[in-house]
Amino acid sequence: MTNTKHVVVAMAAACLVASTPVFSQTATSSRTRTHVETLASDKFEGRLTGSPGEKLAADYIISELKRMGARPLPGLTDFRLPFTFTAGSKDGGTTLAITKAGSAPQLFSGATTVQALSFSDSAETSGAIVMAGYGLVVPESQNFGYDSYAGLDVKDKIVVVFRYFPEDADQQTRAILARYADLRYKAQAARQRGAKGMLVVTGPRSPNAGAVVPMSFDTAIAGSGLVAASISSEAFAPIMAASGKSLEAVQKEFDSGNPHVAGFAIPDVTVTLKANVIRQQQTGNNVVGYLPATAPLTGVNKPWVAVGAHYDHLGRGTTGGSLAGKDEANQIHHGADDNASGSATVLAIGDAFSQQPRKRHLLLAFWSGEELGLLGSNAFVTKPPFPLEQMSAYLNFDMVGRVAGNKLTVQATGTSAMWPRLLEQANIAAGFDLVLQEDPYQPTDVGSFNTASVACLTFFTGAHQEYHKPSDTADKINYEDLVRVGELASGVVRRLMDSADVPQFTKVEQKTETGGRAGLRLFTGTIPDYASDVKGLLLGGVIGGGPAEQAGLAKGDVIIEIAGQSITNIYDYTYALELLKIGEPAKVVYMRGSDKRETTLTPSARK
Amino acid sequence: MALPISASSASSGSQSALSESTFLSRVRRLTVDGKRAGEGYWSPDGKRLVFQSERDPANPFYQIFVLDFATGDTKRISPGVGKTTCAFFRPGSSEIMFGSTHLDPKSKQYQDEELAFRASGKERRYAWDYDPEMDIFAVDEKTGTTKRLTTARGYDAEGGYSPDGQWIVFSSMRDAYNRTLSAAEQKQLELDASYFAEVYIMKADGSGQTRLTDWPGYDGGTFFTKDGKIVWRHFEENGLVANVWTMNPDGSDKKQLTDFGAMSWAPYEHPSGEYFVFASNKLGFENFEVFMVDKAGAKEPVRITYTAGFDGLPVPSPDGTQMAFTSARGGGAGSAGQIYLAQWNHEAAMAALKAAGPRQTPKR
Repeated sequence: MTNTKHVVVAMAAACLVASTPVFSQTATSSRTRTHVETLASDKFEGRLTGSPGEKLAADYIISELKRMGARPLPGLTDFRLPFTFTAGSKDGGTTLAITKAGSAPQLFSGATTVQALSFSDSAETSGAIVMAGYGLVVPESQNFGYDSYAGLDVKDKIVVVFRYFPEDADQQTRAILARYADLRYKAQAARQRGAKGMLVVTGPRSPNAGAVVPMSFDTAIAGSGLVAASISSEAFAPIMAASGKSLEAVQKEFDSGNPHVAGFAIPDVTVTLKANVIRQQQTGNNVVGYLPATAPLTGVNKPWVAVGAHYDHLGRGTTGGSLAGKDEANQIHHGADDNASGSATVLAIGDAFSQQPRKRHLLLAFWSGEELGLLGSNAFVTKPPFPLEQMSAYLNFDMVGRVAGNKLTVQATGTSAMWPRLLEQANIAAGFDLVLQEDPYQPTDVGSFNTASVACLTFFTGAHQEYHKPSDTADKINYEDLVRVGELASGVVRRLMDSADVPQFTKVEQKTETGGRAGLRLFTGTIPDYASDVKGLLLGGVIGGGPAEQAGLAKGDVIIEIAGQSITNIYDYTYALELLKIGEPAKVVYMRGSDKRETTLTPSARK
Repeated sequence: MALPISASSASSGSQSALSESTFLSRVRRLTVDGKRAGEGYWSPDGKRLVFQSERDPANPFYQIFVLDFATGDTKRISPGVGKTTCAFFRPGSSEIMFGSTHLDPKSKQYQDEELAFRASGKERRYAWDYDPEMDIFAVDEKTGTTKRLTTARGYDAEGGYSPDGQWIVFSSMRDAYNRTLSAAEQKQLELDASYFAEVYIMKADGSGQTRLTDWPGYDGGTFFTKDGKIVWRHFEENGLVANVWTMNPDGSDKKQLTDFGAMSWAPYEHPSGEYFVFASNKLGFENFEVFMVDKAGAKEPVRITYTAGFDGLPVPSPDGTQMAFTSARGGGAGSAGQIYLAQWNHEAAMAALKAAGPRQTPKR
């Protein structure tokens, strides 16, 4: 909310007189504010996907679409495009029976003893046991040579694997193995080798020793084709006893990271694992309408231009993703910036073009399920209502209400060679200090369209202290500049609508391959600023009470080195995190302004 | 070079409270397309900007583009082949001047070689090569015809028209090619041709080319002032220290306005006629910042930009309310330098100049 008055005055002076007035400034401005204030109000309860608040928000957006004369997509009668998703999963009573030859089965149950993994099939399976070390398989493409299943026959068996990755391996080995240590990835490897089930045990030499893996939030609609559970050291003891070895000694061997330490079959014991995962199926609603072309489309190449924003948010923050502190837990997460701001921008673009001639159809999309993992946009591109080859481009808006210092970040510019020119042209009038980032692999709906090979862009004004907290409220939005974001985007849309040339899609290679997120077992309490282009890792904030705050790090600091690894970007940082150890102090070198400083950060364990 | 930085001179008392926002507001990146862009000069009515940019996939070198502020559209006005630089609108006409090598038959070959080099993924320090085939041309936007204004072998460029559009002041390295060089001079030419650059003046049709400077060191970045003088940048013989100078169009009354003992260059007059803006690396060899100095050079120059990385080539708009400049502040895809635009606070500039102390002499 800085210098807003000044912005308006300067706009008037900046040679804008002759530019096409796509926007009627005052009407748009007050409407944009109303949209944000309405969507972010208590009434909509944080717009959690599938909740009554989401439905109220959808109703509001639909009434706005009707007011501007938009229609449901061709062949449809409703603006709502429903999709089904798993709103949560819980263990419905998983049991493990261990049978030694000639003895009665020992039965284990209870959430702290045996618990299904969230992606497990709900089914029963029995078989002999094979200990497969950490259950890690590094793809051959990595030229690394690590396969926990080498020489093991696990067909129709039940494998036991350690959680995480070898504790004593050298840094480079850990860094590689960590990428394939996600339990989902381990389950996939086991299933591909013919295993019927997988048991996970947290070794005595690892963090969270002996404990079961908490049932994580997982939005998968179905199971992974494998029965999988984690078991406590108590439940594992009878199995281990059958092998005649101590669990700690076995783990120590695997912990070296030596690929030649082999797994082994455990004789004379069979287990029956009966997993029960209750998945709560719910329906979310994308809201999608369009403003039809005002002239015949004959000869028009790719007749759709699309703009979109997710309108869902975190509800009361109870299903994951919330960064609320203890004092504000379970409060409504208003999501004014995330993403009432983007939704209001899409409505503003619709309003502007509803009054103008259109050579192409303008699709106006409001996604739900974004906060749960791009579910709505992903459902749309997976079963599109019309072939996506007809879509010339998709523009996404996610968190665009916090313009500061006139900066606006545009990401995914690498998806077409045409973007820099179009943005330059449209920005002459809009006057933002643009920051372009080519990478389309962003944690927002633009990712779905990039995957679907549609030329796309996403607009972003940066992370902030209220990100994913109840305090992301409408009074903190910079409305004058939010309206300008709409002006810039409308300039791009105008050119896309009128142009005979359409942006040619270019595939951008992903900078790092990420097999899993096991590296995240470690908690640093840093909030990276993903919009930043500075050399190093700019902190958008630190989590209160977390290791970063305790180390004296603060918003605005730029980390340039951690544990001896130089950091030039977010990828380096993610990579370096995999090298850290829980409870082991790591040296951090950072810049505060032009001041180079050092501190020590001690990562803690992520539960 | 002994870096001529004396920490105390960076901020003397009254200036310590100044910052970039004192003079510049709504700073924003103007050019987005292409690897690098720079040297943005305004049309006399302030509605357009002519600049150089590497944005043609088939030509890795600068070409000249005109940006229209009303429509946001940009069009290339140079031939598209070879290297170009330093364009300038001719007042009272539809002509635009620029330096170009497009008549060199090897132009295409150089383009292909550079493209192959860049495709190899190798990198080298950016350097301007003072191509001896560079001559000054003027294109008529109405007719599209291009006429050649200089023909001498040696780099001819860095020109500006007089306010009445009748004269061109420019920089030329012809002195290195139109006579027999001594062995030492020949060596100097191979090391750094810019040593031979001198200031010349000619009529707008290319006639009457007259030399105005005659001393060792690179003279260039020449422009006319509102009152018909010439402002330019003169390098000392060592090629590392440069300063802003003014003179009469007949070469008389040469006056040095800055004395940082650093590389101070790219001067341009504010349309009020009260001061010049320029770039200097006074604060660090790679860290160019924009400064301004009063017309007489009586006061210590005042710093304008405070952002890490290159800030230079400042050019105020004809109405004096905006400033275009070239900056690497954007990082990422724009780290090679792009044109930025900001609102300019003339009143604050006048106040800061008034408050500045007398010009200091650097320790050598």
